[in-house]
Amino acid sequence: MLLLFGHVAAVTSAGNRRMPTDDQIHAWMQAVADASDRPAFAALFRHFAPRIKGFLQRGGLDEALAEELAQETMVALWRRAASFDPSRGQVSTWLYTIARNLRIDRQRRLAGVIDERLDDWDAEQQPADAHLSPDELLHVAQRERSLHRALAQLPPEQALVLRLSFFEEHPHSRIASDLGIPVGTVKSRIRLAVAQLRRILKEHQP
Amino acid sequence: MIHHHPDDELLLSLAAGRLAPGQALVVGTHLEGCAQCRSRLHEFQALGGALLEQAEPAALEAGAWERTLQRIDRADPAPARGGQAASPHPPMPDGIAWPASLNRCRVSGWRWMGPGMRYARVVVPHDPEASLYLLRIGEGRSLPRHTHNGIELTQVLCGAFDDGRSTFGPGDFDAADESVHHQPVVTPGATCVCLAYVGASLRFDGRIASVIGGWIGM
Repeated sequence: MLLLFGHVAAVTSAGNRRMPTDDQIHAWMQAVADASDRPAFAALFRHFAPRIKGFLQRGGLDEALAEELAQETMVALWRRAASFDPSRGQVSTWLYTIARNLRIDRQRRLAGVIDERLDDWDAEQQPADAHLSPDELLHVAQRERSLHRALAQLPPEQALVLRLSFFEEHPHSRIASDLGIPVGTVKSRIRLAVAQLRRILKEHQP
Repeated sequence: MIHHHPDDELLLSLAAGRLAPGQALVVGTHLEGCAQCRSRLHEFQALGGALLEQAEPAALEAGAWERTLQRIDRADPAPARGGQAASPHPPMPDGIAWPASLNRCRVSGWRWMGPGMRYARVVVPHDPEASLYLLRIGEGRSLPRHTHNGIELTQVLCGAFDDGRSTFGPGDFDAADESVHHQPVVTPGATCVCLAYVGASLRFDGRIASVIGGWIGM
């Protein structure tokens, strides 16, 4: 019992742990893909599940649904780890697209607009870069690694614009009210924020 | 050579999972043929990944790990994925591939909408009300002059048209809104086939065009 309690505590206090490195995360993914390695899966779960839940809640989902989709995303990771290709990007990007697609799928079901006949939403896709050359892939991967730093260097207002673009269902009106600007100018603010992010990313290029 | 691409905001909406299914299909059709935009989309998805990585971790409910283990132990194999067979669709001009993005849609046959002009209705899964059409317009023919009550997204599959703003050729993407008042004219040389999403009804200048527009649901 004590053991079990300790385990749950370890899972729920993931936020206080040291951040794993990209190499660690990729090694865990490899172990899950090659050997269905449970300790590696547990490590990925500890790191990612609470963040996915937090991310979904930040995006407006209620706690129960966020919890369920976070678990579902981790189940998808377990089942599809072999289809993850580290040369095509980060685990966090891959998990983001899975969680996003599960959320869209769930919201359509709740709205009753799901078409059962056609219901096989492709949750594990890594489609964006399906036909990029190795050079381009390397470039994409490098930019992706720089993204965290770039985001931190962005002026707070521009970081907010990008954040709201992901977290709000109707980001335009929210961005307008948060920044105290007319709705008509939101588009250009988003453009500016994206351009600035790209500029910083470029500076990070070796 | 593709000259016209979806703007950052559309790709950002797609990456954030906010784009309506009908619009997502038009952008998806563009992405099939445009490595540059696939790479841009990936960048926005990576931004989503970075925000996920930086999200404040939320405490999981007690038993979350055990429940997840139970679910993976049920060991239902991952459903077979991969290429989905194309559903029946109207014939395309020779050598023009059917967009894989439309494989899950129900598509009507070509229907007459005027001399040298045909359309096919594309029914979008999860969003059957979405106004998505394929247009097949003969060379030199033009759509009636119109403006929009909402957004209009167009992806050129083959041929080209010019609407006074620019020429849109194979692979090109266009987004037009209320501010655009145009009359697309198909350039000589080839039939033009486009995938078009009409966010709200078009406003045609002429009465007859309005009648036809209303009749086919545009």
